[in-house]
Amino acid sequence: MLELSNVGASIGIIPILRNLDVTISAAETVALIGRNGAGKTTLLRSIMGFTTVTGSIRFEGEDITGLLPAKRPGLGIGYAPEDRRLFSAFTVEENILLPAQVAKLDAAETKRRLDRVYHILPELKTMAGRPAGNVSGGQGKMVALGRALMLGTRLIMLDEPFQGLAPALALRYAEALKALRDADRTVTLIITESNPSLLRGFASRTLLIERGEVSESSLEHERTH
Amino acid sequence: MNLTIFLLALFDGIAYAALVFSVAVGLTLIFGVMRILNVAHGSLYAVGAYLTATLTGYVLALGFAPLLAFPLMIVSAVLVGVLLGGPIEWLLLRRIYNKPEVLQLLVTFAVFMILEDVQRLVWGTQPYFQASALQALGMVKVFGVNYTVYQLILLPLLALTLLVGLRFFLRHTILGKLILATTEDREAAQSIGIDADKVFLVTFIVGAALAGLGGALASPTTSILPGMGADMIVLSFAVVATAGLGQIEGAAFTALLIGLGRSFAVYVWPETAVLVPYLIMLIVLLVRPEGLFGSPTARKI
Repeated sequence: MLELSNVGASIGIIPILRNLDVTISAAETVALIGRNGAGKTTLLRSIMGFTTVTGSIRFEGEDITGLLPAKRPGLGIGYAPEDRRLFSAFTVEENILLPAQVAKLDAAETKRRLDRVYHILPELKTMAGRPAGNVSGGQGKMVALGRALMLGTRLIMLDEPFQGLAPALALRYAEALKALRDADRTVTLIITESNPSLLRGFASRTLLIERGEVSESSLEHERTH
Repeated sequence: MNLTIFLLALFDGIAYAALVFSVAVGLTLIFGVMRILNVAHGSLYAVGAYLTATLTGYVLALGFAPLLAFPLMIVSAVLVGVLLGGPIEWLLLRRIYNKPEVLQLLVTFAVFMILEDVQRLVWGTQPYFQASALQALGMVKVFGVNYTVYQLILLPLLALTLLVGLRFFLRHTILGKLILATTEDREAAQSIGIDADKVFLVTFIVGAALAGLGGALASPTTSILPGMGADMIVLSFAVVATAGLGQIEGAAFTALLIGLGRSFAVYVWPETAVLVPYLIMLIVLLVRPEGLFGSPTARKI
């Protein structure tokens, strides 16, 4: 469902990604692991169109290499950036609903998707009316996940979701991911993480990114890493 | 100072504040969303005034009622927003969002200079005067002081409507929410599918139309002549900077402060009338460099 061929990306004159060839199939749960600065975020940003790339990116057979970033969520891609980046002018629920409003989904479809978000993340319902600027860092990550779920019907990309979460919240977040997987067996998940142990047993496939190059990684490799 | 003079100064100040606010609010909206200080805003104001006077004169010559001047003000504002604001954003500003501020200032200043000459080319250097909108509404007597309904009632009412309407538009309409979201975080907005380019274009058109509306509203109260745009951009910048850049409600307050300060100076110490607005700005910014309502970390609108 996602094919990256010979993808390269630079920030300024510094190359971040080098000639990546990665194919990800539908319904896979991919853990993208690597140290800070290895290129995890740049890879997700390239798929979202925020980083100009060489080579080509195809999504469900369609070449999206030059597609405007704002056009990509409409293809069914949900993205939660590393720092949660909620809109503080709105409430939690307004933040979650905004993508559906942008995509001009009808009321029934919006409600169906909102119910799905509340099913997977019931705690969001209890804070629906709170200003998004007033939620804690961990809660904010949950809201950002909920927001990504609204349009992420085909592909959901989460950038370092466990970063900075207290252990109890990290466990809760992992539970929510499992609930998401149980609720939707066909959606593709890409989750970046610098600590591979958090995704052990959940990811169906682990990709290791090092110095801008991606390789398949076995669980054995992770343990010694 | 007797009551009559006090009331005159008060009414002058309120009427003037209402006019300045309607211009300054567009300037602060554009800055709040796009982080661009649009110097050309003054020219858009002047063109709005010229356009209204010309259209009104034309329509009156055809024998229509003077009340038609009011819809023509709206028409002029929309024309300024769409025909000037649209191309300025689309052809120029779009290319320089990530460039240094000084370049952005230079570009909007260049547009200002070009538009100033275009005004001279189209409308000449002779002043225009077209007060039929003002005369159509007549006068009102308050505590023995005669004042025009247009300036004492209509202008402040419109300014208030603008303030409340803009807040409502930003907070409670989808387009307004898209603008707020893009303002807060352009990239996060794009990652939920918001076309940030379009949001910027619409914001600039709305801001430019507000400048045009300010000019249209000012046209019956003043003689329209070259240089009026320069005067207004400096004054509305003073209002916006005193409030804190991007502060919409704050701009309403400082417009009133500066409008009243200026009008009372006219009656009490006329030599300083031109100076007073900038004196207020100077004092405020010396104490609070971020403006009365701005936060040091620049909360956007």
